[in-house]
Amino acid sequence: MSLLSQAVVSGVLAGGLYAMMSLGMSLSWGVLKVINLAQFSFILLSAYFTYQLTVSLGIDPFLSILVCVPLFGLAGMALQWVFNRIRISEFESLLFTFGLFIILESLAATVWTADFRRLSTEQNPYVSESIWIGSIALPVPQLAAFVAAILVAFGVRHLLRNTHFGRAVRALAQDRDVAVAFGVDNGKVSMQLAGLAAGFSALAGVFIAMSRAIFPGLAVEWFGIVFSVVILGGLGSTLGTLIAAVIIGVVGAVATVWGGPPMAPLAVFLVLIATLLFRPEGILGAARRDT
Amino acid sequence: MADLYFDDVTKRFGGVQALAGVSGQVEQGEIVGLVGPNGSGKSTLINLLSGYLEAEGGKITFGGEDITDRPAHRIIEMGIARTYQIPRPFGTMTALENVSLPLMFGTARHDPGRARSEAQQWLEFTGLERHADTPVAGLNLHQLKYLELARALATRPRLLFLDEVLSGLNPTEITQSIEMVRRIHADGITIVIVEHLVRVVTELATRIVVLDRGRVIAEGEPTTVMRDPEVVVAYLGTRGRHA
Amino acid sequence: MRLRPAAAATVVLAVALWFVPEFADGFPIFYLLFAYNVFFWIAQASSWNLFTGSSGYFSFGQGAYYGVGVYTVGVLVAKRGWPLLPTFVVAGILGALLGLFIGLIVFRLRKLRGEIFALMTLAVAFVMGAVARVSSTIDGGQGIPLSGVELPQALGDFPAMIFRLGLIVATLAVLAAQVLHHSRLGWGLFAIRDDEAVAENLGVPTFRFKMMALGISAFLASLSGAVHSLQISYVTIEDVFNIRVPLLVILMSILGGTRHWMGPVVGALVVYTLNDRLNAAGLQDVSDLIVGGLLIFMIVAVKEGLYLRARQRPLRAAIGFAVGIGPPIVLGLTDSAITVMAYGLLGAVLLLMLPVTAPVEEAVPVHG
Repeated sequence: MSLLSQAVVSGVLAGGLYAMMSLGMSLSWGVLKVINLAQFSFILLSAYFTYQLTVSLGIDPFLSILVCVPLFGLAGMALQWVFNRIRISEFESLLFTFGLFIILESLAATVWTADFRRLSTEQNPYVSESIWIGSIALPVPQLAAFVAAILVAFGVRHLLRNTHFGRAVRALAQDRDVAVAFGVDNGKVSMQLAGLAAGFSALAGVFIAMSRAIFPGLAVEWFGIVFSVVILGGLGSTLGTLIAAVIIGVVGAVATVWGGPPMAPLAVFLVLIATLLFRPEGILGAARRDT
Repeated sequence: MADLYFDDVTKRFGGVQALAGVSGQVEQGEIVGLVGPNGSGKSTLINLLSGYLEAEGGKITFGGEDITDRPAHRIIEMGIARTYQIPRPFGTMTALENVSLPLMFGTARHDPGRARSEAQQWLEFTGLERHADTPVAGLNLHQLKYLELARALATRPRLLFLDEVLSGLNPTEITQSIEMVRRIHADGITIVIVEHLVRVVTELATRIVVLDRGRVIAEGEPTTVMRDPEVVVAYLGTRGRHA
Repeated sequence: MRLRPAAAATVVLAVALWFVPEFADGFPIFYLLFAYNVFFWIAQASSWNLFTGSSGYFSFGQGAYYGVGVYTVGVLVAKRGWPLLPTFVVAGILGALLGLFIGLIVFRLRKLRGEIFALMTLAVAFVMGAVARVSSTIDGGQGIPLSGVELPQALGDFPAMIFRLGLIVATLAVLAAQVLHHSRLGWGLFAIRDDEAVAENLGVPTFRFKMMALGISAFLASLSGAVHSLQISYVTIEDVFNIRVPLLVILMSILGGTRHWMGPVVGALVVYTLNDRLNAAGLQDVSDLIVGGLLIFMIVAVKEGLYLRARQRPLRAAIGFAVGIGPPIVLGLTDSAITVMAYGLLGAVLLLMLPVTAPVEEAVPVHG
């Protein structure tokens, strides 16, 4: 029984990380109409950068956030600038970012080889630290990721509802042409949003480097999870993404306890299929979306 | 009798009630004009009656059969066709290929070769035979509208919805188009024409239905209806002048 | 049904190629195996394009069908001793069922069908890998040795046999693509690609047609995978359910052009040849980079694909090819005919990629 409780708690914490990984994709797709597979590359490369910075400079891995988030934020903005210039369609963006994803994964494999890279406990003392509630362990990296995800999710929600930028974003999401006609600067707003999305991915990458070993093929494992979270959560809904991510996290963790690690992607996929069959607009329904 | 009846039809889009219970009928052989200011629900009504969208409430029957929930490709088989406000040709095909397409489906179900030869005659009907092998990207608005028409006619409809088929055309083109509509009607096709150009609709239509904000506010003989005070307010209240 | 010239030519070519192994005594076996691989990729790319190129619904899931094909042979033949030919058919059917399953879920959605289909197929290959790993009847993480499989003797020794099996499947795939291209099903799909709602309104039975095309495409892809398993000595999940097959298949079709059935054929030949030569030169890491880069370049700059571009500018293709093979032959840089051909293809490709001033360029049909 305690195994199950531990699994549920681990699943909830994992959900935080999933939310952070998926938020960028959800906003990007929902608002910018860009399906950006390069987000996965940002997560992966951010994880590698974190690893490398920690190993080479001996700094606390948390500090990598200060480097990775702005760096990839800029990368995200640059990519969106390119999309705006070539007037990419929703579909072409899928192919384009797929090509980009392949290139970046290949670069990662060239620089860091296919070997598993893991921060040792010396470099990353957090990996072996946990906060205990009774007999349930809350590993520090996952807990930090979860807390960060909650903060980010609610921060974004506030941003979308209460700021000028947020209103512009929502206007663009509803009807781009009308928004532009009313003076919304699509170029600027889309770039800022893309930068934000990439920043979230980078943040997720830092926490991943602190939680587990990384290798170039890891990014591909995330497709199913993120996609399930985005659909279950509803495109463009921050709260939905958070809730969906936690559900998926718990489902995956419980499935692992029940049938071993390979069961997790299976269980998540079943959740996805169920969502598409019965609730394609997402867990909160169309009415509760932020955008 | 190929009559169309719609009863208390409703449709919402998110927070907007596009149609709030619209009823009416179109009898075989009529030319019914559907008018109303922007946002009154004209296009939505066409979308529902042609099967492009599903109605949320109400009932639609055609030729005695209930077609409310019927999928679009079945409705075409019953003889209901439409054109689009902004032409929607198949972008990677030529004019001839566009018109051939419906001949491969619907009631005709020809194989591609026979569809092509029959499509020729529809291009001729609309005067586009010289552009048969032109990709649609090379056609202007007037030609695209005629292509829409040819494509809709190829399905041999009994009832044809024309959605703003005249908008964006110059006076010469408008006169030609009106002639075209008359010829189509003379061939025995019932027509419902949605138009902003009230002058044209009063000329063409045997009966006018006026929509405003999702409801029918007037109906009847063209000149009488257009003088109805409620109709005048509906129009002048939101529009400066007619095109 | 009249036999169209293209189909007739394909059949004649296939029959002619059938007899190639008889004359192959003087050549290294390597050439037969190289040709087999080209056939394999022609089958994969053609089957992929048959659905995606026609309908505009982007599938990233080719790897799943391929994997089903390989593992069906692995489980039924290697583990249970089934005969090969029936197993091939079963593999095809299982692949088709997988495709239809995905279609059943996605095609009924109201919105975002195209995008969700794409992402779903992206996820499905890895889920299949997980299924294989979980179930010890299938793989259980152990892998399956295939070297002991009994091969049919009637088709000749191993290289001849695999050459001929590959030829059959590739011919089937290309013929299917040709027949589709000129049929009502094909035209219906093209209409769906351009504007699904309007197509539906004009009478195209969109759901049925998409399911049919998807089923055929998946069947062929699985069949091709089943045949391919014969030259894998040990099947593992990582080797089968990865991103390589979908990626290459997409590149091949995009490079060759999705709007014509010759596109994937040309694309398969070009990509496989170049990829093979890069690997032979020890440059595998670079090859992935090039693949990604090419994909991006083609989407942005050469939307119609190289086959249609070559038909527009045949002289460029010829000159490029000649310039490519010139130096290697004249300077005697290499013994391998394949390397020479690779240089020729590279030359043609590069020249064709240069900008053209075209009167009316039709947009590439990749939208949902």
